[in-house]
Amino acid sequence: MRARFWGVRGSIPCPGRQTAKYGGNTACIELRFAGSERLVIIDAGSGIRELGNFMMAHDLPKGPIKTSIYLSHTHWDHIMGFPFFTPIYLPSTTLQVFGPVNHEADTLETIVGGQMTYRYFPVREAELAATITYVNLKEGRFDLGDGISLTTKYLNHPILCLGYRFECRGKVFCTAFDLEPYKNLFCTDPADPSYDEAMAIEGEFVAREQNTELERFVSGADLVVYDAQYTLKEYEPLKVGWGHTAMEEAIAVGKRNNIKKMALFHHDPMRTDDQLDDLTNIYCRPDGDDRPEIFFAQEGMEIVL
Amino acid sequence: MDRQDPLIQKIQGFIDRMPSLSTTVSKVLEVCNSPRTSANDLNRVISLDPVLTGHVLKLINSAYYSLPNQISSLARAIIMLGLNTVKNLALSTAVIGALGKKSSFTTLPMDAFWAHSICVGVTAKAMAVARNVPSTEREEYFVAGMLHDLGKIPLNTCFAENYGQALQLAALEQSSLLKAEQLLVGVDHGVAGRLIGEKWRLSPAIIEGLGFHHAPDQASDEHRDLVATVALANLYANIYEIGSAGDLHPESAFLLGILEIMGLKWADLQPLQSIVNSEIDKAQVFLNLTEKEMK
Repeated sequence: MRARFWGVRGSIPCPGRQTAKYGGNTACIELRFAGSERLVIIDAGSGIRELGNFMMAHDLPKGPIKTSIYLSHTHWDHIMGFPFFTPIYLPSTTLQVFGPVNHEADTLETIVGGQMTYRYFPVREAELAATITYVNLKEGRFDLGDGISLTTKYLNHPILCLGYRFECRGKVFCTAFDLEPYKNLFCTDPADPSYDEAMAIEGEFVAREQNTELERFVSGADLVVYDAQYTLKEYEPLKVGWGHTAMEEAIAVGKRNNIKKMALFHHDPMRTDDQLDDLTNIYCRPDGDDRPEIFFAQEGMEIVL
Repeated sequence: MDRQDPLIQKIQGFIDRMPSLSTTVSKVLEVCNSPRTSANDLNRVISLDPVLTGHVLKLINSAYYSLPNQISSLARAIIMLGLNTVKNLALSTAVIGALGKKSSFTTLPMDAFWAHSICVGVTAKAMAVARNVPSTEREEYFVAGMLHDLGKIPLNTCFAENYGQALQLAALEQSSLLKAEQLLVGVDHGVAGRLIGEKWRLSPAIIEGLGFHHAPDQASDEHRDLVATVALANLYANIYEIGSAGDLHPESAFLLGILEIMGLKWADLQPLQSIVNSEIDKAQVFLNLTEKEMK
């Protein structure tokens, strides 16, 4: 397998001199499989625009583009690049878009394609030339053919969000963003008037159980792309409940679960290149234990598994 | 149960559009619309309405989320799916229910039914605590108690006239409402409750609670303790007349039989009284209900 980052930011694109090294585009990862023509794209953040241009130059000359986009979720930073993904304007393109959708929400097609109405964009979704199908994805295990299997897992985020675990020829590539560790959301202070012992105990039990499930999901992966938007210091006072992970927690998960490489991902838009370099010096230095190899994901970075 | 029976088919047709209790809808809207809602308030407001609880559990366990294990507690759902998802499920269900039909209570008084339901839920949970049921299973006792009489809602709406007669007969003869339902409606609320539980894909324990709380000896070995607890909690609510769901005259032989299944004496239940009263008071305050509305 070969993974390449086209967008590594969270929240909103942040181009500029201070982000040129790690990149300012929002989430998009290209994944290709050895021995197969299959191309999988994880998320359609603003980074997908350049991936689309790359595909037009390198894939289209070999034949019609056939690809799948797996959306982690439908927050805007993960779908905003879709209208600028050039292959959707080619009649020869076949595209499948997979992603989770909350029960009460519109369909995946309405949510993703809904960005393409005249009030937001000069082309309507209905006018796209490509053959596009949308599939509402849930938690489960799927055989994708060509010896590739996919396991999906719900992650803790303010809307329904999926992590993806692709396995092929003994190699494992895994995504776990946008994600916050599960927490007991129920009041645990017996002095609080709303305290309920049963709720507090069950909340604690379920949070622990789900965190164990999450670690099992990423366990043993050759590469995990893991949410690390904040430092612990940033996370704890203000960002609890926003659906992201502190990099210290992400690294601890990596160390506990026999992961070979861990790409810290979904950088905060306020984070400059200098700050990421400083954080690299703090968190990504070999400490005697060679696993996992930890690094902050960069636009253009390619990793061969 | 003959699923081709027109009575059964009529009940099944009603189940999916069964609205929430208006007793709780305004509070559901208030709690779920607030951006600062706590997990405790969200859990409480949903669990205080048996119809809403059932609907939310149904949606969570539906093919929509396709979760590997069945979820029978709201607390678990809130941790796993998050506050927003559960809030939105409750909101959509409560609003659809409130707008969908003016009232599904044509013969039973809704507020008294609500008070009875919450009493049985609270009592079943208090009994589970007293009998050292593992803490992660106690919520299911509460939910099973809260939902046990759901089967009466379709009966009293779909067959209002006959159901009114059944209520009168049970009151006049000081006998079991279940038997009066069988006689005058042709279906009892245990059967209707099971239909709801199965259609909403509630947990097997809760389905047995809905179906067998008047016959815990028919429950499976696995769930007999829960079903017997709900049955005893139901008798407790009826004997102390906390709320009312039309079943005011429990048979003493039945009570003795359940106490025997559970290895308890009636006196063992006395310490629960203050806990149950306090929990009901708290629920009442939470929902801003007056005492008059409760009776």
